[in-house]
Amino acid sequence: MGDIAFNLLIFFVILARAQDDSHLQWEPAKAAEVQSAGVAKVSVLIDRDNRYYVNGQNVGQVQLVAAIEGILGTAPPGDRRVLLKVHNEAQAMYFEPAIEAISEAGGDLVHILEEEGPR
Amino acid sequence: MRARRGRKFLVEPPASATGDIAFNLIVFFLVCASVQPDSGRHQTLPRSEEIEQQQEKMENIEVRLTRTTALLNGEVVPAREFPPRLSRLLDARPRQEDRVVVVKSEKETPYHHWVRVTEMIETAGGVITIQREEERQVVLPN
Repeated sequence: MGDIAFNLLIFFVILARAQDDSHLQWEPAKAAEVQSAGVAKVSVLIDRDNRYYVNGQNVGQVQLVAAIEGILGTAPPGDRRVLLKVHNEAQAMYFEPAIEAISEAGGDLVHILEEEGPR
Repeated sequence: MRARRGRKFLVEPPASATGDIAFNLIVFFLVCASVQPDSGRHQTLPRSEEIEQQQEKMENIEVRLTRTTALLNGEVVPAREFPPRLSRLLDARPRQEDRVVVVKSEKETPYHHWVRVTEMIETAGGVITIQREEERQVVLPN
């Protein structure tokens, strides 16, 4: 019984991981003031190698708008939050198209940042 | 004097419960790992057609970003002087629709620099809008 439960758990963990971006390599930029980002349906991530991911799935730059719109669908204004996780060294030529895509898809942009420690 | 003798308890759990203990431990660590909340900064970007309308009324403040510096209306401003200089410019614009700050970044501008400068703009009361450099490919005839 214990073994069955264990195997089921592993199965669901792997399944959930495909939708999750916690395994991706990126370091958040620091900011003086941050607030809680809250819950969001969509997260867009740019990793160390400047690759784009929407909810953990690798997508091309041109597919960003369609991918975000597909998940947001017809969600009402307060429910269209999109988390943007960008590696702190990523360059403008990579993160600006992502910001533009979120705006074009009608998402409410939230930059995911780390609070700066005391200097 | 009588020496106190400690009681001996059974400390080893029954072998049949090992699977259940492992299962509960995994669930505990999974819950701990998934509860870390994200923190960040909300940003509202006005749509491009709104910016065009505003340009007719009043010229927008322009911030140009390079890899390490920030130019305010074409002039290089050190990071320490940036917030007061921007606040002075914004104070002269009481209407919300005139407080648009156009941010133009060079391709190599790193995200941490962009975040730091846009944070200063928002703290000063500016409304950020991004203007990207358009790339046009021109084919010249032979």
